[in-house]
Amino acid sequence: MSDAVRAVVVAAHPTVRRVVEIACQEAGVIVVDSSGTAAEATAACRSHGPELLVLDLDLPDSDGFRVLADLGDLRPRSILVLAERADGDHVLRALRLGARGYLTKAGGLRDLGTTIRRVIAGERVMTPKLEKDAIGALGRMARHAREGADLAESLTTRQQQVLEFLSQGKTVNQIASRLGISPRTVETHVATLYRRLGVNTRVQAVSQAARLGLVDL
Amino acid sequence: MMVSESTIGARGGRTPAHHDVVIVEPFPVVRTGLGLIVEASPGLKVVGTSASAEETVTVIERLGRTQLVVLVSMGLAGESDAYWLIRALRERFPGIVILGLGANADPNTVSRALFTGADGFIDKNVEVEEFLEAIRDASEAEMVIAGPAADSVGTIAEGIERRRSQTFRLTRREREVLVVAAEGLTAREIAERLGVRERTVTTHLARIYGKLGVGNRLAALRLAARSGLLTLPPAE
Repeated sequence: MSDAVRAVVVAAHPTVRRVVEIACQEAGVIVVDSSGTAAEATAACRSHGPELLVLDLDLPDSDGFRVLADLGDLRPRSILVLAERADGDHVLRALRLGARGYLTKAGGLRDLGTTIRRVIAGERVMTPKLEKDAIGALGRMARHAREGADLAESLTTRQQQVLEFLSQGKTVNQIASRLGISPRTVETHVATLYRRLGVNTRVQAVSQAARLGLVDL
Repeated sequence: MMVSESTIGARGGRTPAHHDVVIVEPFPVVRTGLGLIVEASPGLKVVGTSASAEETVTVIERLGRTQLVVLVSMGLAGESDAYWLIRALRERFPGIVILGLGANADPNTVSRALFTGADGFIDKNVEVEEFLEAIRDASEAEMVIAGPAADSVGTIAEGIERRRSQTFRLTRREREVLVVAAEGLTAREIAERLGVRERTVTTHLARIYGKLGVGNRLAALRLAARSGLLTLPPAE
């Protein structure tokens, strides 16, 4: 009994929570906490240190990703994610945050007991379609990272500084006085940045730069 | 998926798509074996093989086409390793499909290969059918990860993210070192020029390689030249 797996269950909807609790029971897992919000989930994981977390991504106060990010190194060894959305980017994000299983609530709650057992055993559990989509998302991410790094390398220190200030919402005059150069020169840098980023407006420039990882928003 | 598409194609009377494959593998026995397996597979044709990075560039230049899948063995060693080749191919032939070919590769190897420019990664320890299927999928512009790495997609993504953030912004000192290194000086000569210790220069160089995701000075210089960090003298 002492080495039984302990689980924290988090799902907004009471019915989903109940289904998960029953499945845990089937799988011989002890549910030490069951709640419906991200805040409660994070607190429960911190205080119980469970081996398993069954986490609904769609929570009223925040989302499940937030819970996983906040827990950091305190994340349970086995994490099973339940979600409404099932696109590659979502799955990849869950995998990056340590999830081993990813089920869509529409399709996947039937053999939940078996799934839970497999996730505890360290298996990766998701449909082949989701797995493929996640790998597709990984490919896109790698390409963006490469393009962003290449671009960053090609920018001068000055251009990088101007880009950083742009993303902070500073005006041309503000940037000029911060860098001790003329507004005219700043405008030249901005024009160059637009060209390198392939954009026409400041908003596009900042969002493209963020997508490529050149600035943090 | 690829299988169902080719089935539909056959039913529609179209000839199934043909994909040309180039195999880059240093070990002759493995190279020959891979060639036989790929060649025997419907829809795939081996149009070139190579044992080294430099040879590969020549082979592909001579083929003169971009509808290619190139399998790059991560086992390439020496001055121009697999990462060098992946980057060189990505630069010179943007349209081709590049697949890293590992032998029980860890997530870090896969991250680096993808970040450097590979379109996917296949491990030699998968079953033959999965191996061929992955080549076919990749040639249809799908991202593939086949082998143990498929179990570590999250870790691989984290590795790419780490590399991306590392690559940013060589410090001014690092740029200086790189510019002087471009003249072909030894670490000691660079140190004398910049008035620092030789040890400091080698540390800078190692850090630069790490940031740029390359394995040697030549690759670092090529990358830096391409991205406008420095200008290289024309090759003789």
